[in-house]
Amino acid sequence: MSKLVEMKGISKSFYGVEVLHDINFSVDRGEIHALCGENGAGKSTLMKILAAIYKQDQGEVLIDGKPLSKSATSFDVQKLGIAMIHQELNLLEEMTIAQNIFLSREPRNKLVLIDYKKMNKEAKEIINRLDDSLEPTMKVRELKIAQKQLVEIAKAVSFELRVLIMDEPASVLTSKETEILFALTKKLSEQGIAVIYISHRLKEIKQICQKITILRDGKFVATKNVDEVSERDIANLMVGREVSRSVATDYSGDANDYVLEVKGVSDHFLHNVSFNVRKGEILGLSGLVGAGRSELMEFVFGLRKCEKGEIFVNGKSTKIHNPTAAIVSNIGFATEDRRSTGLVLCRSIRENVNHVYQVKNKAFFNSGKRFRENTDSMIDRLSIRCAGHLQNVSNLSGGNQQKIMLAKWILVGSEILILDEPTRGIDVGAREEIYQIINDLASEGKTIIIASSDLTEILSVCQRIIVMHDGEIKGELLSSERTEENVMKYATNVN
Amino acid sequence: MGELNQASVKSKGKNFFKMVWKEYSVVVIFIVVFALCAIIAPKFATANNLRAVLRNISTIGMISLGMTFVLISGGIDLSSGAVLATSGTVLILLQGSGAVPLWVAIALCIVVAAGFGFINGIIITKTHMPPFIVTLAVGIIARSVTMFITKAATITGNNVPEFTNIGNGSFLGVPNPFWIVLIAAVLLTILLTKTKFGTYVFAVGGNETAAKYSGIKVDKIKILTYMLLGLCVAVAATIEMSRMAAVASTTSGSMYEFEAITAALVGGTSFAGGRGKIIGTVVGFLILGIISNIMIMKNISPYLNGAVKGGVILLAVLFQRRER
Repeated sequence: MSKLVEMKGISKSFYGVEVLHDINFSVDRGEIHALCGENGAGKSTLMKILAAIYKQDQGEVLIDGKPLSKSATSFDVQKLGIAMIHQELNLLEEMTIAQNIFLSREPRNKLVLIDYKKMNKEAKEIINRLDDSLEPTMKVRELKIAQKQLVEIAKAVSFELRVLIMDEPASVLTSKETEILFALTKKLSEQGIAVIYISHRLKEIKQICQKITILRDGKFVATKNVDEVSERDIANLMVGREVSRSVATDYSGDANDYVLEVKGVSDHFLHNVSFNVRKGEILGLSGLVGAGRSELMEFVFGLRKCEKGEIFVNGKSTKIHNPTAAIVSNIGFATEDRRSTGLVLCRSIRENVNHVYQVKNKAFFNSGKRFRENTDSMIDRLSIRCAGHLQNVSNLSGGNQQKIMLAKWILVGSEILILDEPTRGIDVGAREEIYQIINDLASEGKTIIIASSDLTEILSVCQRIIVMHDGEIKGELLSSERTEENVMKYATNVN
Repeated sequence: MGELNQASVKSKGKNFFKMVWKEYSVVVIFIVVFALCAIIAPKFATANNLRAVLRNISTIGMISLGMTFVLISGGIDLSSGAVLATSGTVLILLQGSGAVPLWVAIALCIVVAAGFGFINGIIITKTHMPPFIVTLAVGIIARSVTMFITKAATITGNNVPEFTNIGNGSFLGVPNPFWIVLIAAVLLTILLTKTKFGTYVFAVGGNETAAKYSGIKVDKIKILTYMLLGLCVAVAATIEMSRMAAVASTTSGSMYEFEAITAALVGGTSFAGGRGKIIGTVVGFLILGIISNIMIMKNISPYLNGAVKGGVILLAVLFQRRER
């Protein structure tokens, strides 16, 4: 019997740059197949070709052994039972769950008007198989992100699903939500549905996938059975070299050299939060979603007004009421969401790298030479991979975008650098590079504060860890106290 | 290896043409339109006719230069036409009364137009109402106040050469108003591409939050773009008043804002903000001017002017859509 999906010799170029080269990929009924690779490796592009969102330049796609017509639209492919759930969910926020599930194929009554009764009934049957708490008449806007994902899956299921493609589904979920998703994925595969799972998270892959295909720089590397390879093997195949696990050393600088002291921050969300950080130290800020990490960072960077709270920079009381004031005090802030708050995507690398530099510089006229030199030095120092200075930031991979965001602050010599989720949604290789950059900065005497929900990251990079829960600091962990168990103990506030 | 190099050179050449087309397609369209006009109307490409075209498009051209900044910053200004009437009325009243020197009258005209820009900017940044609504309302108010002050009459100024020369004179064979627009276009190109302010305008229009997080004072930049447009409107008003030596409070400047927005859009400025070029806008209003001109020459009903311009907007924006 022929395979359910077979992709043969797929090549694709954008703007004359080849992003996929002669890729072979196949998946069988009931198989959970991981698609792995660094950002920019071509995973999403390959899957968008399968979903007929992009057209391949060369190669063919076979479904049940039958070649898919080149003129097939994504709707045609959906009708064949192939559905893709994107990183950015494609739901209409102002519509109900049922309306979203049946979008463009709403059941009609005799008067050709939409039969809402029938639609809601059918939607309820589908959605409640996934989650009992959801009503088909709820507006998508009111749902949590994990529930929205379920709506997407429900929509896919309603098409007599045969292949489900999920692009980094767990990156936005809590660990509990992830477990639910995994259980659901397993159930789908037992029904004979093939699941293609795009992810960077090797642990997840080991947990639920049977097969794994690895891409690197748009080329096919290997397809393996998951139980034959270790996480380390996968990481090595993805980057094409040995990956070393960095271990955070203890802070070795002057114990009393505080560059930033934050005292008694209080408002309706934060309760009397105080902390400090020393020159050249890497401080981790941990806690579950909603613990107040982001709010605290926003206060330090002048984005949030609190009723009470003082900031001392180098021992001097400093008023930071807006980002400009923070920048004057040499504080930098790389946000958690580079696309919506970190970078101006439609502008060039050179402009983005120099934004903060311009704010700090008094000169009204731009110095082209200076900007070029700045950009060159940053591309060089952070090994940013790009086609040139004038390339739009939107065309870069996640890891390189993240580096541009860091470059903005490194360029102006920020003494205190706040990094919110510094490696969210970027691949193993780029992640290691970012950690290396962070360590280098710290050894130059720059102070780093990392707010992260990734425990492994906090443990392997931070010299000291502060754990928050419900707007308060619950614990501080040094050297050997820095364990997963201790962090979780404080983060969940169980004693 | 040799093969690979050849391939990459070839694709580089292809990319170069792609880049030229992507960035300057409007210039290509302009050349085509110009050539077509020269072919179908022999009198079109004569010095006299082209001088008339340049003189006629100068007012709209001036406004569209300022509008380009506002659009790039992610805003829009629907009050420009009405503000041209208001500031023009101030200019004509003062000039006609003979009470103050001409330069004072022009200076006050600038203050009024830039003042309206400031009001637009302040309301938009402080209330976070959409620019479309704010400037629509301010425009209606400006028009109404102007009609009230003038009792909806047409007011005439004094026909003194130093005033009428601004709009009607020529220098080196080129109409004075077009010199003004040209100089403004050069200065504004420098402002947009070579200064801090210009880069911030792009940043604010491209991603307001990211701009704010980079320490850019977003509100200040937005207010300044509306004031800069106000300044351009005042210059446009001065040209227009000088040419007519009169202002009709009910109709002066009517629909100019849409003509200006059209010119900028045809010139490749992004309606969503973050992208645009002054040179594009210049070519944009030249194309619009040529179309009006050729229709008159060919005796086509002026009522069809809008139909053609509407088509041009659709075509120009369609051509400039980016490949996915």
